[in-house]
Parts: sequence; structure tokens; C-alpha cells
Amino acid sequence: MHVSDGILSVPVAGVAALASATAVAISLRQLRDRVADRIVPFTGMMAALIFAGQMVNFPLFGTLVSGHLMGGVLAAVVLGPYAGCLALTLVLLVQCLLFADGGLMALGVNVLHMAVVGSMGGYAVYAVGRRVLGGGPRAALAAAIAASWLSVMAAAALFCLEFRLSWPGADYDFSKIFTLMTTLHSAIGVGEAVITGVVVSFVLRQRPDLIASDTANTASDISVRVLAAGVVVALAVAAFLAPFASPHPDGLEAVSQHADFESLAREQPATALADYEFPSLVPRWRSVPGWQMVSVSLAGILGTLSVLCLALLLGRALARASSSDASVE
Amino acid sequence: MDGAPTSPRAETLCHQLPGPWKLGLSLAVIVSGLVTPVAFWPVYGVLGTLVFIGHTLAAIPLAYLARRMAIFLPLLLMLSISLPAVEGFRRGGDIMAAILLRGSLSFLTVLWLIRVLPFDQLLQTLIGFRVPVLLVAMLAFMHRYALLLWSELRRMRVARSARTFDRADRQFRWRTSAQMIGMLLIRAMSRAERVHQAMCARGWDGQFRQYERPREADQMPMRATD
Repeated sequence: MHVSDGILSVPVAGVAALASATAVAISLRQLRDRVADRIVPFTGMMAALIFAGQMVNFPLFGTLVSGHLMGGVLAAVVLGPYAGCLALTLVLLVQCLLFADGGLMALGVNVLHMAVVGSMGGYAVYAVGRRVLGGGPRAALAAAIAASWLSVMAAAALFCLEFRLSWPGADYDFSKIFTLMTTLHSAIGVGEAVITGVVVSFVLRQRPDLIASDTANTASDISVRVLAAGVVVALAVAAFLAPFASPHPDGLEAVSQHADFESLAREQPATALADYEFPSLVPRWRSVPGWQMVSVSLAGILGTLSVLCLALLLGRALARASSSDASVE
Repeated sequence: MDGAPTSPRAETLCHQLPGPWKLGLSLAVIVSGLVTPVAFWPVYGVLGTLVFIGHTLAAIPLAYLARRMAIFLPLLLMLSISLPAVEGFRRGGDIMAAILLRGSLSFLTVLWLIRVLPFDQLLQTLIGFRVPVLLVAMLAFMHRYALLLWSELRRMRVARSARTFDRADRQFRWRTSAQMIGMLLIRAMSRAERVHQAMCARGWDGQFRQYERPREADQMPMRATD
């Protein structure tokens, strides 16, 4: 979802714009030597493809809403991190300046979320994951799937942070909003991961030469990449710790307030928030102060791990299917 | 997709402003709305009037604005209502109103900008702002092929519903939609490779040369025949 103007304050949007401009400048600098290469038509074409691909709506399970592809990791897998970042930047530019999708001041914020964290950060996670898993097509697939989900979560966490910083005077309880945001984006992230997985497996089958090869050769390259991947994963995990972001100074007081709120809410029909809790196996656990916070974070961390396992399994299954299909085709 | 205005280039006062002015004015209105303290309601009224004047001068039809706002407002409302909602609607109304007003103001301003700033003028403005030519070249390329790919995707969708009798179950649509994007990716990249080879065959060496819009003086010979 593109951030529009008015949601974030000017200083926050300004800092984000500066960070995005720096990242875009770095990407342009890295690609400067490859100008005569096919990078210009490729990046432009990829941007056009993602732009078109974002028009395809996928019905989300169990809801009336539909989601669409973000394409950050997809662009980075095919083009590499720098061109991928530029491709997403182009998409956001066109969407803002030709279709008013996303604010003008918020362009920097959107670029930061989708081009920098989504594409460059996602590529770092993908590259590290691919290397860790062995480097073959199956590893690439599994890593791409995991990277898509993690980059969506990381972008969501970053938005929550920016939103909190934008309204500093207000002592509202932002944690509930963040929980909702995180839950929503986990679902969106799963959709993104599945779509990216199917598209990447399709491309690996038909045109494996289109997937960018591993370009990190020096130790400093690799360490930068690992650092970037670590930041993205940390942000994604932080999304699940967001419920701890209570404005009240006394932690116990805040927790007991939440516990009361939750017991009131239980009388109502089940909502997404109520289900977003780790079931307490021992009834006595529920009376422990802070259990509600711990359970949400536990659910989040377990959710992260299970999605990673799902990504690995899905990657293996798709790769196995693709290798058997290849013999038929 | 009726996002991109397809009507012939209008010649209102707003259209004739130089590109940087259009961009600058839009940014000025948006930033003014954003730096206004939350409860300074009259400022939003003034800005709203300015935006309305801009739309009137640029001859932008109200129906166009209404259609776009109808899509945009519910999403903004959902986000802005979340703050008061978690407080049980006891407080937070001023922040919600501020988000709604600022968001709508900037959305309407950007709609104005879209209508008065054609794409080629946007590219020239970006070059004028010293945006790296590499980025502008990629942007031009993307613009050329985005509409092409979009219509190709639409044709694929029609072909899918024709060949599968419009099968609607979710899993099928997910799988085939993703496969369509994959197919489009491969076709698009092959096309990009061919375009690159054609450019190189015609002597492209990585330099981007800017085409200058013919000036009034150059058009005089043509006018003489009127």
C-alpha cells in the first residue's frame, strides 16, 4: 500500500526522502559503468513489467480484499540490487506523477519502503540465503520466497516506526494499530512470497540465464550484504515486538491495562486481533502479568520461523516440480 | 486503465506555465498543508480554495476528480480512523481530521499536476533539475513499454478466460496469474534484449542525447502557409 501525504510529518518524510535519494544515487553510481550494457532497457522493461504486474489482483484468502504484487525481490533477483532499486523507484515515480498513487512528499517514504528495503534489502536477504543454502536454483527459489516475506514485514515495521515518530506529541496507544498493521502485512507478505516463488520458478525453468548471478566477490561486499540482510531481518522481527511500544512509563501498569482490555474484548465475536495470540497451554500462564505481550511476540517469532520453513519446503517442492516438468516440455 | 489523460493537449493558463513552476507550486501547496499545525483549520480552507482555483483554471472536469477521490478516500479513511478507534472514539478526532484534510489536499494537488504536466515535459523538467540522464532514459523506456505490457497482460487475461471457460476458483487464478506474470517477464526481457541489440546496431554508444523541442522561430516557415 502506497503511503499518501498527510499521514507522516514533514521531518520524517524529509529524512526518508534523503535516505532514498542517497540509495538511488548509490545505485546510479554503481550502474554508471554499465551504461552501454543492456541495463537501461532491462531496468526500464522490468519497471514496466512490475507496473503492469501490480495491476493484477489476487483475491486474498478468507477476505473480500485482493492484494497485488509489490515486485521488489522479483526485480532484484532478475536485475541485481542496484538496478532492482532503480526499477522500483521508476515504478513509484510513474505511479505518483501519472496516477496520483502515493503522495508527492511521501514519494521518498514509498521509495524507501519498496525500492530500498523491498528491493535492495530483499536482495541482501536473498543473496545471503542463496549462499547459505548452497547456491543452486532450488536455493535461489527458497531464498527468494523467504526474502519477499521478510522484506514486506521489514517495510511494515519501518512504516510503524515512521508513523510513531510523526505524531510525537500524542500519547495515544499506537501498539494496537501496529499489531493490526503487522497482521495485515503478514498476510500480504505471504501473497507476495507465493507470487514471487511461482514467477521465479517459472523463469528458472524457461530462462535461467535471466536470473542475475552472484556478483559479490570481495569480503567487504559479502559483509555489507550480510549486514543489510541482518537489518532487514531485524526490522521484520521488530514488527512483532511492536506491541511492546507502549507510551506509558510503567510497564506493569500498561500490561494490566492491556489485560483488562483484552478480557473485555473476549466477550465480542472473534476478531483477527484476538486470534493473533499464542494459545496458553497452561491456564495458569494467563494470569502472569505480561503474558499477553509475550504471547503476541511468541506468535510473531514462531510465525516468522514457520514462514521460513514453509519457504524452504515450497522452494524444494516447486523446484522438484519444475525439474520433472522440464523433462515433459 | 484511464489514469493517463488521453485527451489532446489543452492550452489553459496552467498548461502554459513552465514545468518547474508546476512542480514547485504543487510542492508548495502540499508542504504548506503538512507544516500547518493540526488545529489551524482556516489554512486548510485557504489551500483548498487555491487548489479549487487551480482545477478551474486548468479546466479539469469534476467527474474526473470525483472518480479518483471515490477510490482514494476510503483507503485514507481506514488509516485515519484507526487512531480514534483504538481510543474508543474518545479522542483523536483532530488527528484524524488533519490526516484526511492533508491527504485529500495533496491528492487533489497531484491530480492537478498530472493533468497540466505532460510526460515529455516532466522528463525535460527532471533533466533541468540535474536528475541523472541514466534515470530519465530508463523512465522514458518504462513509459514506452508500460502501456504495451499492460495491454499484453490484458490480452493474456482474455485468453485465459476464453481457454478455461472463466474458471474462478482461487487456487487456479493464483497459479495462472503468477504464470502469466512469469510469461510476461520472459517476453518482456527478450524484447528488451532485442531493443538493446537494435540500439547497438544503430550505433548507440551509451550516450544519451536530448531532443530539443523546436522553438517558435523554427516553426515560422510552416506558419507562412496558413
